[in-house]
Amino acid sequence: MEVIESAYLDEKIETVRGIDFLQYRSQDLPTWCPGCGYFGIVDAFYKACRELNLKQENIVTVSGIGCSGRTPIFINSYGFHTLHGRSIPVASGLKLAREDLTVFAVAGDGDALGIGGGHLPHVARKNINITFLLFDNSIYGLTKGQSSSTTPYEMRTNSHPVGNPDTPLNPVKLALAYGASFVARGYAGDPRGLKQIIKEATLHQGFSFVQILTPCVTFDKENKTWKNLKEKVHDLNLRNEEKNMETAMRMAENEPYGVGTFFQDKERPHYQEILRNLNKAD
Amino acid sequence: MKDINIVIEICGSAGEGTISAGEITSRFMSSQGFEIMSFDSYPAEIRGFGKCVAHTRISSRQIYSPGKLADVLIALNDKHAISQLSTLKENGILIYDSQPARPHKEDESVAGWAKPGMISYGIPLNMLAHKASGNARGMNMVALGALAALFYVDKSPFTDSIKTRYAKKKQIVIDSNVNSFLEGYNWTKENIKKIDPHSFKDITLPKPKEKLIINGNQLVARAALDADLSFYAGYPITPATKIMEILSRELPKHGGVLLQTEDEISAIGAVIGAGFGGKRAMTATSGPGFALMTEFTGLSVMAEVPAVIINSQRAGPSTGIPTKTEQSDFNSAVLGGTGDCPRIVLAPADTKSCYEATVLALYLAEKYQTLVVVLLDFFLSNSIRNINIPEKPSSEYLDANIAPDKNDFKDYQRYKITKNGISPRAIPGTPGGMFFSTGLEHDAYGRPNYSEAGHTAMTQKRFAKFNTVLTEAPAPEISANDRDEFDIGVISWGSSAGAAHEAVMSAQKEGINASSFSSMMLSPFPEKALIDFSDKCKKILIPELNFSGQFAGFATRILKRSVERLNFITGRPMASEDILQKMREM
Ligand SMILES: Cc1ncc(C[n+]2csc(CCOP(=O)(O)OP(=O)(O)O)c2C)c(N)n1
Ligand code: SF4
Ligand SMILES: [Mg+2]
Repeated sequence: MEVIESAYLDEKIETVRGIDFLQYRSQDLPTWCPGCGYFGIVDAFYKACRELNLKQENIVTVSGIGCSGRTPIFINSYGFHTLHGRSIPVASGLKLAREDLTVFAVAGDGDALGIGGGHLPHVARKNINITFLLFDNSIYGLTKGQSSSTTPYEMRTNSHPVGNPDTPLNPVKLALAYGASFVARGYAGDPRGLKQIIKEATLHQGFSFVQILTPCVTFDKENKTWKNLKEKVHDLNLRNEEKNMETAMRMAENEPYGVGTFFQDKERPHYQEILRNLNKAD
Repeated sequence: MKDINIVIEICGSAGEGTISAGEITSRFMSSQGFEIMSFDSYPAEIRGFGKCVAHTRISSRQIYSPGKLADVLIALNDKHAISQLSTLKENGILIYDSQPARPHKEDESVAGWAKPGMISYGIPLNMLAHKASGNARGMNMVALGALAALFYVDKSPFTDSIKTRYAKKKQIVIDSNVNSFLEGYNWTKENIKKIDPHSFKDITLPKPKEKLIINGNQLVARAALDADLSFYAGYPITPATKIMEILSRELPKHGGVLLQTEDEISAIGAVIGAGFGGKRAMTATSGPGFALMTEFTGLSVMAEVPAVIINSQRAGPSTGIPTKTEQSDFNSAVLGGTGDCPRIVLAPADTKSCYEATVLALYLAEKYQTLVVVLLDFFLSNSIRNINIPEKPSSEYLDANIAPDKNDFKDYQRYKITKNGISPRAIPGTPGGMFFSTGLEHDAYGRPNYSEAGHTAMTQKRFAKFNTVLTEAPAPEISANDRDEFDIGVISWGSSAGAAHEAVMSAQKEGINASSFSSMMLSPFPEKALIDFSDKCKKILIPELNFSGQFAGFATRILKRSVERLNFITGRPMASEDILQKMREM
C-alpha cells in the first residue's frame, strides 16, 4: 500500500512540475479494488507514453478478459477489450494491418498462460512488433480467486481449497524458450522502474514480453502480497553484454523476483521486415 | 443445330493423369464455345493408387448442375472403373483398354461388367501409349484421342489444348502427349466401328469470349483481391486451404499481409484486429475451424468490428468427411454462437456468384461493421466452370466505411444509437475519434453498461442494421414468376439451387407447373419474398444436402406451412435428376 501511495505522491509532484501525462489517462476511474497492483502498472504506462511522446491516437491497447482486461478503459487512446486469452491474436492482426500504430497487448496470467497460452509461442517466434504486458498476480482475479497457471504449488485457492496440485509455469523462461526477442520483468510497486522497462519494450522492434509482478490484494493473502513482494523484489542489474540467452535462462531459473531486462536481440528483424525481405527476394 | 449435352467421366488411379485428362478436355471444350462444369474426386490419401474420377459435363446451353450420370466412362484403370460403372447411364459408352499390360483374369476387366445396353469400345490404350512414347504414361492422351475420333471432334484444336497444358514442360513431354493423342485418334478412326449416336460433327458455336476456367476457391481469392483485401489470416483446412495458398502469393503483390496462424481462433482474432484497424480482412475455413471461431464471431457483432469468414462446408459433424460436399453448416452459420447475435450470411449458388458474394461480403462487413459469413461447400470450392471474366467492383463497393464528421467529433460516441444501426466509425490514428470497444454490453461511448434499457437499446441497434442490409441483398432468383399459381415451388439455397432450377425447367417441359426460388442472402433472410413466392405454390419442395433439413426447418418457421423435404448426404453434389423425380411423385 505504501508503495502505491508513494506512486501517487510522485505523480502529484510531477504534475506540479508541469510534466503532464494526464492526457493518457481516461476520465473513467479504475474500478479495481483499492490497493490492487494494477494502479501502479497503468501509472507506469501513462508515464512511459509521455516520455516516449506517443500520440494518443496512435496508441492501441488490446486486452483480454479479467481485471487486467479493463486496462484500456482507463487509457485515453484507442482500446479494445477482446476475449479471454485472445489479446495476442487481435493485437497481432492490428499491428500487421497498421504498422503505423503502437500496439500493446495486455493479459492476465489466466489470459496469457492458461486459456490463451497457445498464442504466446507463435507471436514470439514470428517476432511480431507488439509489446506484451503480462499482469501476473498468480490468481484469477475477476472470477474471484481460482488457481492460475502461475499459482504456486500447494497454495490454497478457491478452486483448490486444500492446495493447488499443479506446478506453476515460469513465464520468463517460457518467453525465452519461445524465442521472444525482448524479455523483461517489472514490478507494479516500482512504477519508475516499470516505466523504464515499458519504454524499452515499446522501443524494441519485435515482440517484447514483459512480465509484471503484481498483487491481487483481494484474493491472494499469502503469495504475491505487497509485503512479500516488497521483501523479495530486487533489481537484476544486468549489463547489456550480459543480456544473452545463457545468462537470461540462468537468471530466469534462479531469480523469480529479479526485475529488469533479461534478454534483448536487436538484430533480429521483426515479422513485417521478414515478410518484406522474403517478398523482395522472391 | 442439335444440342450437345454430355457427361464424360475419366476414371483411373492417382498418378495416371486422370485429372489432367479431364482438365484438358474441359479447357478444349471451353475454347470451342461449350459450357463446361467439371468436378474431380481424389482418393482421401495423398499417396498411393487410390481411385480418381474426373467428371465433366459439356453443353451447348447454359448448365446449372454437374449431371448425375455419365454418358461416357473412360477406364484408365479397370479395377476402379468397375466401381464407377454404377454412375454410367444404361445406354452409356465405355472406353477401355483392350490390351492391358498384364492380361486380365476373368472378372478383372471392366468390359466384362458392362451391362447390356451399354456400348463398349476396346482401344489398346497401353499398347498405343508405348508405341507413341515408349511407356504407359500417355494412356490418358490415347484415350482422349479415341474420344475425339469417336465423336468427330476436330483433332488439331484439341492437340493445341494439349500443347497449352504442357507448355511449361520440356519439348519431349509435349511431343509424347501429342503423339499419344494422335495414336489413339488414328487407331480409332481405322479400327472402330461407331455405333453410338454422339457426334460433334458440324457443331460450331459462336467464337467464345475470353473465359476464365476457374473454381470457387480461386474466384473467392480473386474477388477478395479485386475488393481491396489487405489482410488475410488463416489455418489450413480442406476444402478452404487453396484460398490461403493463392492469397499467400498474390496478397503481398497488392501490398497486403498474409498470416498463417497457429489455429482458427487466432486467425479470426487477427482478422478482427485488422478490421479494428480499418483494413479489409478475411479468413477462410471449414466446419471444425468455424466452430473454433464461434466466440470471436460474437465479438465481431458485439464490438461492431468488420470480419469476413468464408466457410467451405464439408460433410458431417466434427472432422466429418473433409473431401465430401454437404450443406450442413446452415444452422451453425445462421443461428450458431451465443446470445442474440445478428450476422450476415451469404451463400452463393454457383461458381460465378462466389465472386459476387465475396465482394459483397467485404463491402457489407465494412459498411455495417459486423460479421459476414460466406457459405461455400466442397463442391463449390472445387468444381470448375468456364465463366466470363467478372466485372471488377465499382468504387462504392471498395470504400464503404461511414466515418464520423466534425459534428460527431464534438462528443464522439462510437456506438451512437442511429436509425439504421450504423454508428460512424473512427479508425485508430484519427485524432479526436478515440474510443474503447468491448465485447461486454456497453453504452454509446463503448463503456461497459449492463442496464436494462441500455442492453435493450443496443440489441435493437444491432438488429436495426438488418433492415437496410436486406435492401442491399441481391434479389432472390425466381425461375418463373409469370403465373399466379404453381403446383410445385422448389425452394433451395447454396450449391443446390442450380440443380433445383434445372429440375424446374425440365419439369416445365414435362408439363409440370413449377417454379423455383433461391436467395443468396440467408441472414437476414428476405422473408417477405419467400412468403410471396410460397403463397403462389400449392406444394413446396425443399431439397438440400443435409440429413435433418436445416434450411427446411428455418423456412417452415417463416412460412408456417408444411413442406416436402428432399435430403441427401451422399457427399455428391445435388442432382437435378433426383429433384425432378421427386417432383413427378408429388
Ligand atoms: C471463454 C471464457 N471462459 C471463462 C471466462 C471467465 N473468466 C473471465 S476472467 C477469467 C480469469 C481471469 O484471470 P486472469 O487472466 O489472471 O486475469 P486477472 O483477473 O487476474 O487480471 C475467467 C476464467 C471467460 N470470460 N471466457
Ligand atoms: S480482484 Fe484482485 S486483481 Fe482484481 S481488481 Fe481486485 S485486487 Fe486487483
Ligand atoms: Mg491474474
